[in-house]
Amino acid sequence: MALDPSAAATGPGADEQIEPLACGRDAAVVWDHAADGMLDEHERGCPHCAAAIADAHGLDGVVHRMAQEQPLPPPSLMDTVMEAVLDTVTAELRPQDLLALDSPAGPARLSRPAAARVLRHAVDRMDGMRARSCRIEQDGVHLTVAITVTARFGVDLASVTARVRQMVVAAGEQALGAPVARVDITVVDLWDEP
Amino acid sequence: MHATRPTDDAALARPSSQVARPVPGSTAGPGVPPAARSAPVAAPDAPPEQELDEATLVVRAQEGDVRAFEVLARRHQAVLFRVAVRIVGDPADAEDALQDALLDAWRRIARFHRDAAFSTWMYRIVTNSCLDLLRRRRPALPVDEVGEERLAGPGSDGPERAAEADAGMAALRAALGRLPDEQRVCWVLRELEGMGYTEIAHITGATETAVRGRIHRARKELAEVMRAWR
Amino acid sequence: MSATPGATPRTTPGAAPRTTLHVGDLVVARLAARAARGVPGVAGLRPDLTQALLGVAGTVFGQQRDTLPADGATAVVEGGHADVSLTVLTRLGHNCRDLAAAVQRAVSAEVGAYTGLQVTVRVTIADVLI
Repeated sequence: MALDPSAAATGPGADEQIEPLACGRDAAVVWDHAADGMLDEHERGCPHCAAAIADAHGLDGVVHRMAQEQPLPPPSLMDTVMEAVLDTVTAELRPQDLLALDSPAGPARLSRPAAARVLRHAVDRMDGMRARSCRIEQDGVHLTVAITVTARFGVDLASVTARVRQMVVAAGEQALGAPVARVDITVVDLWDEP
Repeated sequence: MHATRPTDDAALARPSSQVARPVPGSTAGPGVPPAARSAPVAAPDAPPEQELDEATLVVRAQEGDVRAFEVLARRHQAVLFRVAVRIVGDPADAEDALQDALLDAWRRIARFHRDAAFSTWMYRIVTNSCLDLLRRRRPALPVDEVGEERLAGPGSDGPERAAEADAGMAALRAALGRLPDEQRVCWVLRELEGMGYTEIAHITGATETAVRGRIHRARKELAEVMRAWR
Repeated sequence: MSATPGATPRTTPGAAPRTTLHVGDLVVARLAARAARGVPGVAGLRPDLTQALLGVAGTVFGQQRDTLPADGATAVVEGGHADVSLTVLTRLGHNCRDLAAAVQRAVSAEVGAYTGLQVTVRVTIADVLI
């Protein structure tokens, strides 16, 4: 899936041909060997390879210095990006991204990603547990939650599953104000404390 | 209210008593191995998102979690900015290209396939954003033709470059700026970012053979220019 | 967006004198935004037009009209009725359902008391800050 149409359009052509050296060796391979300091016996003694090797070594120092440069992004860059991201998020909130809240005072909706974030947070606060995916469906006012979690090695999965369910139900009621009718929990990975 | 964090906001929180509260720390029941029991019993705060693993952050971002995306983007921004500077040759242009790329990444992240490396995917988006920017800046020039002489390119000798202490590096930068864009991208990823041909092929969407060819041509051209500096 | 209503006097078709109103969309939106901000747990408003608003307000009165966002609220006044739409942010620790209802009541009360309009308040909680 080339994102770049021109790259996809570039078929086999002049760009791809690497003319072999007079000794028959692939010039790119010889260059790679020279750059990595892994020349074989032929390359070390061959006059045709020598020119390619000299080019490689000649560039090596200045390229190495260039590679050492670490230009840093301006601190404002991410702020600008996140502003733009938040703009798209709000502007693109579609009806299917929203859960209905049971308010007696008029139509009330809650962003589905925001609700998922709240439920994940409830699981994250459990010792040795991390929420990964959290998908919420709504049937009437009731929520059905499918959540995937990762657990620290040694955590008892059977007992923790019951607690995850409790936490999600409690967060649904207390933080969202929406009853959770069903919680499907899948443990997808285990991890060690870093 | 255990579902939420006991912060200053707790004072404002609606008291809720009708729901059974799971007690944090009660995990360590009889069946729990010692490793889990030794964990702190006090209600832990959720770990900051900055500490989450990449797979978790990616899934969350794919499900619309803006903060997870922000953590991912912040984690990768220095490397991506460096690549962008090297491709477009100018920090201000690189900033523009990276901003576009990150917004693009947010819009596309749901379509990211998790069997691919996230960093490769980000490199690809940034690389394409850089190429788009270069095409916009030089619409009249046939950018894909090998050996086409450039009137001006990224990294060409501007006032700020003239003052560069390392004259050899300045010359390399100028020569790099004159390479065809596709060659420069491949060369930068190989020689400055240290990537293998396969990964570069994934990033650029070109075949591995094409990548090798572009890098080799770029190397030869740069070596030619730089002979004067040896 | 063309600035349609502003302070233009508005008369319902049929021109019953008691329903003649002198309150523009923007006035209602500003009142609504201020009232919403005063509700404990509202961390901010997002200036936007949600699809919900466009989908409903844009057609419910059988006509397209521009809506004027004011600091995160939009309002459409039609006859003696105001349709207000707000997109709010809250913080973890506030029950979303109760917060939405509290915003609706506060905005209805404020706009109703100030203008005499009947008010429908649509609330969208766009984010829960953690």
